[in-house]
Amino acid sequence: MYDHIFKRAQSLHGDKITCEKKHPQQLEIKTDRHYVMNLLSWLKTESYVHLAFISCIDWIEENQFELVYHVYSYEEKNHILVKTRLDRDRPWMHSIIDVWGHAQPYEQEIHEMFGVYFPGNPDLSGLFLHNWKDLPPMRKDFNPKDYSLALYSLKGMGHEALDMDFIQEITELEVE
Amino acid sequence: MEHDNIYLTNLRDEKQNMWTGLANYFRKRSMWMLYYCTGCGAIELPPTMTSRYDMERLGMGPMATPRQADLLLITGYLSVKTLKRVIWSYEQMQEPKYVVGFGSCPINGGIYWDAYPVINHLEAFMPVDMSIAGCMPRPQAIIDAFEKLMDEIQQGKAVGYKRYRKHYDWYKRNQDLVLNRQSAVLTPYVDPFASMPTAAELMAQESEDSHV
Amino acid sequence: MNAHALTALKLTGIAFGAMSLGLLFMGLGRIVSARIQRRIGPPFYQSFIDVIKCFTKTSITHNFVMDLGIIMALGGLIATAFFVPFANFSVLGSSSVVIVLYLMSIGYLGMAMGVSASGNPNATIGISRALALMLGYKIPFVMVIMAMILTYNSSDLLTYALAQNHGFGSWHIFKYPLGFIAVEIAFQAMVGEKPYDHMIAPAEIASGPMVELSGKYLGIGFLLHAVQLYVETGLIVNLFLGGAQTWYIMMVKMFAVYFTTMCINAVMARYRIEQGIRHLWIWAGSFALLQLVYTRIWG
Repeated sequence: MYDHIFKRAQSLHGDKITCEKKHPQQLEIKTDRHYVMNLLSWLKTESYVHLAFISCIDWIEENQFELVYHVYSYEEKNHILVKTRLDRDRPWMHSIIDVWGHAQPYEQEIHEMFGVYFPGNPDLSGLFLHNWKDLPPMRKDFNPKDYSLALYSLKGMGHEALDMDFIQEITELEVE
Repeated sequence: MEHDNIYLTNLRDEKQNMWTGLANYFRKRSMWMLYYCTGCGAIELPPTMTSRYDMERLGMGPMATPRQADLLLITGYLSVKTLKRVIWSYEQMQEPKYVVGFGSCPINGGIYWDAYPVINHLEAFMPVDMSIAGCMPRPQAIIDAFEKLMDEIQQGKAVGYKRYRKHYDWYKRNQDLVLNRQSAVLTPYVDPFASMPTAAELMAQESEDSHV
Repeated sequence: MNAHALTALKLTGIAFGAMSLGLLFMGLGRIVSARIQRRIGPPFYQSFIDVIKCFTKTSITHNFVMDLGIIMALGGLIATAFFVPFANFSVLGSSSVVIVLYLMSIGYLGMAMGVSASGNPNATIGISRALALMLGYKIPFVMVIMAMILTYNSSDLLTYALAQNHGFGSWHIFKYPLGFIAVEIAFQAMVGEKPYDHMIAPAEIASGPMVELSGKYLGIGFLLHAVQLYVETGLIVNLFLGGAQTWYIMMVKMFAVYFTTMCINAVMARYRIEQGIRHLWIWAGSFALLQLVYTRIWG
């Protein structure tokens, strides 16, 4: 399916990328983060006009974030995943809104959920979280269970009794 | 943070006179609901309303705005962001008003008990008159709960709105704790890019670092 | 008891009678819809329960104009009800159809004033839709009324009703069938049932004019609809269905009109606003115009 684009990618960007065939309709291209913009612009001219999504993965043991750009071609009818790694201590990535304008909310969401900074993106304000002051919640070192128990359980809200006891106490008071 | 251990006092032994008894009859026979279906559970309501279970024979019906409604139906989980809107809607409703928590999530968080955006106990934020357990409760359970609620209204026991008025400070404190939090819950996060540097600045800094 | 007090008593009776009859019709109409949808439906007295419950609730007002507008609407519609003859019985001795049409507009304008003052944008949208629709149905309706006035040289509803007292053949529904169809279509829009329920549209503009009405205001809103049903079904019965000699025949005929409306309501979907007005003008309007021309030339 994608032999043609595989060969072209190898010949044009061979020294900068590593290609791997993951699936009959998926080609994975790994590259340096400063080269992603060039690669995506080139792919856009090669009929891969649809940026489906940008996802972010937290590789906490390797102390890295991985960004995956999913692009799709309506002519070739296959996907290409452009993957790049960022330093987890200082994660930032060039914004690609000059290539695809609709990447703006994707980057905004990744900034909110992982704390990856995208210089060039005009709006990186919060999208979903209300009044968030903790670690970005999708990072692996953020513990949602501790957070939930500390904030939403009745004990966390400052009632000495355990959750179920407290509810029973309210119920008993009312039935009397 | 200092927490006072406040408990709610009993408001259920309210004396009924003939007038409130009569008014309660009309209130129970004509409950108009506003259903807050931002979580799951909206799919259980159409069978309850339409020909299979026909809620209208109990005098219940859907209403479009909080102003007109008597019954606030919280179906499914409530995230922090929707909690704020639920409280607005609840406070816009006119008394007497009743709240029904629908499914496991408003009771104790359900399967989202350890999720960071979902609250666990709806009772802490607003008075709940009736809870329907289940994930999701079937229409029979919903009709059953509404009939029980009707009995409670007739007996003058469903007085959550009075409890909300009397213990407003208690509810408000819990609401503020979640909605207007001033500090981080676990570890505060310091954004290393708070100064919003440009890409050129970041790259210059990185090349400097690599030289050192 | 002097004559004025007696008249006042009768008028009060008509006001409450109109409200009760309208509420009864609303309850029965809900059962009709329910049965068409294969449901059991509420008891027939459900609308009375709803209204009484609304009056036991607390309510919120935004300003004086809102209170005034709602009361003006109810007052205007009740005043209209005084002029609609109920079973050949008219307290005020006059039942001019021109007065009825004029006073009915006061009801709508009062409602428009009241709910616009509530400041909710949905209410304003709903009222603008209601007034746009009014332009749609008033023109065919008035054309049919003009045909009547030209035939009888009178604008008295009682005259029309008495003229139809000679058996089925004398009913205007058979003498002026085109006019009846036009008025029936216009009636569907007047009571705001589908396919002309742009004004309420619960899923779209959150029940339109009623959006900000709570408690007692909503109760008055229900009473408004009830009196409106009384006035408009009474008008059609007197215009086309031969009036009535006795009160129960009158009620049965009025309900027959509303029943037809509810049946159409249960199986139709909502038109868009411009479609609705176009439909009213083209269909109801052309039927009414044909009736007018026919009456003028051969009537």
